[in-house]
Amino acid sequence: MASEDERHYLFGFLKERFGIPEDSFEEYLLLRRNKSWQLIKNASQLEYASNLKVSKVGIRAFQKVGAFVKPTTRLIQIFGHSATKSKLDIEEEQLSIILSGEKFPVDLAIDKGYVILALNSKMILGLGFFVNGEVHSQISRKELRQAMLIY
Amino acid sequence: MFEKYQEFIPEFLQFQKSLYKPLPIHLRANPLKIDPGRLLNLLEEKGVFLRKSSDTDRTMYIAPGLESPGNMVEYFLGYYHPQAFTSCLASIALSPKKDSYVLDMCASPGGKTSHMAQLMYNTGLIVANDLYPSRHIPLGHTLERLGVTNAVITGYQAQEFPLRKHFDFVLADVPCSGEGRFRKIHDTYEYKETKARYALPDLQKKIILKGFDLLRKNGVMLYSTCTYNPEENESVVSFLLDNRDAEILPINAGFTYEPGITKWGDTKYDKRLERTARFYPHRIDSVGFFMARIGKRG
Repeated sequence: MASEDERHYLFGFLKERFGIPEDSFEEYLLLRRNKSWQLIKNASQLEYASNLKVSKVGIRAFQKVGAFVKPTTRLIQIFGHSATKSKLDIEEEQLSIILSGEKFPVDLAIDKGYVILALNSKMILGLGFFVNGEVHSQISRKELRQAMLIY
Repeated sequence: MFEKYQEFIPEFLQFQKSLYKPLPIHLRANPLKIDPGRLLNLLEEKGVFLRKSSDTDRTMYIAPGLESPGNMVEYFLGYYHPQAFTSCLASIALSPKKDSYVLDMCASPGGKTSHMAQLMYNTGLIVANDLYPSRHIPLGHTLERLGVTNAVITGYQAQEFPLRKHFDFVLADVPCSGEGRFRKIHDTYEYKETKARYALPDLQKKIILKGFDLLRKNGVMLYSTCTYNPEENESVVSFLLDNRDAEILPINAGFTYEPGITKWGDTKYDKRLERTARFYPHRIDSVGFFMARIGKRG
């Protein structure tokens, strides 16, 4: 189980960077496993399962990348709707650039760091990284593929 | 094909003809990620028009003309899951409740597990078990994509799953010969019987007994296969009835089916097996399926 300090550090980061309220995670447990943290809905039944040999718990929520911690695409897809800042609306044209592995220029008045990418203002795709006036995608190109733009 | 089942499959010629038609694409909208009505609108904007496949369920659809359902942004976002109609019916027949403790004994690739999470509103806990570590990858991927946050994955042999605490609901969607999935779409497609299929009933009997033993009193288990073979269906459920104080519960989930058989050749089965359900492709245009809803007396 992640410590209270760890919870506060990780969920506090989401609050500070994206404006996602920390109490969004009140119903969840956060567990640390090696270089990642997993999030699962708290339930009394978890006690019953505590003696089982478990290979995966809930969803992977954060991953340590070097000295930094990166929220996962799936975490952002679930909780990114309540973000109030560092959120970038993109359209199909910019999505196409992202899927080809390229960066695209944007005019954002925020510090360098992660931004939430929202397609057509309504679909939360995951994260991009904003630096030097450009955004590049943090979303796996195996999962979000160029072929998906056919439709 | 499947002439040996002519005795009990109704309208057998229609059944055989149906095997020459391609399986339609069925999708299950995922309310854990999006309102189904909004999904319909999003897909319509892209020229994909879904048709309801159930009068009572607002998440199940046919997607005519959608050849690669895995190649849409909405798929990546977990707004829907491509899943056979009959496969969806298994979770609906079991109907796990909010805040319950659920075991999915053979969970990968996770379609039914995620559907149960949806029916439970992501509450309680699902133990999604699958023996093979290589299957944990697609299982975990499906659950994450669909926003399932109430599940853990374990890797026990289903028939040896350890008893720690009895479950409220158990899904035993067991390994089977998969006859119900066969469609003769190309001339080169032939249904081949492998030696391994003869070992399946023994394994299935071990799994159904274990699943029943893991169930709490008044709990409900669903045993299901995607095969027509009575040796993997009625015979297995008969074996449970012979060895445990189990009852076959009615299946009232708002869809039609054929009752389980009580006779095949010289073999006679318990009359109670009429309460099990058989699904045939010419009746529902989906994968052939069998299910038995089983209760443990209190």
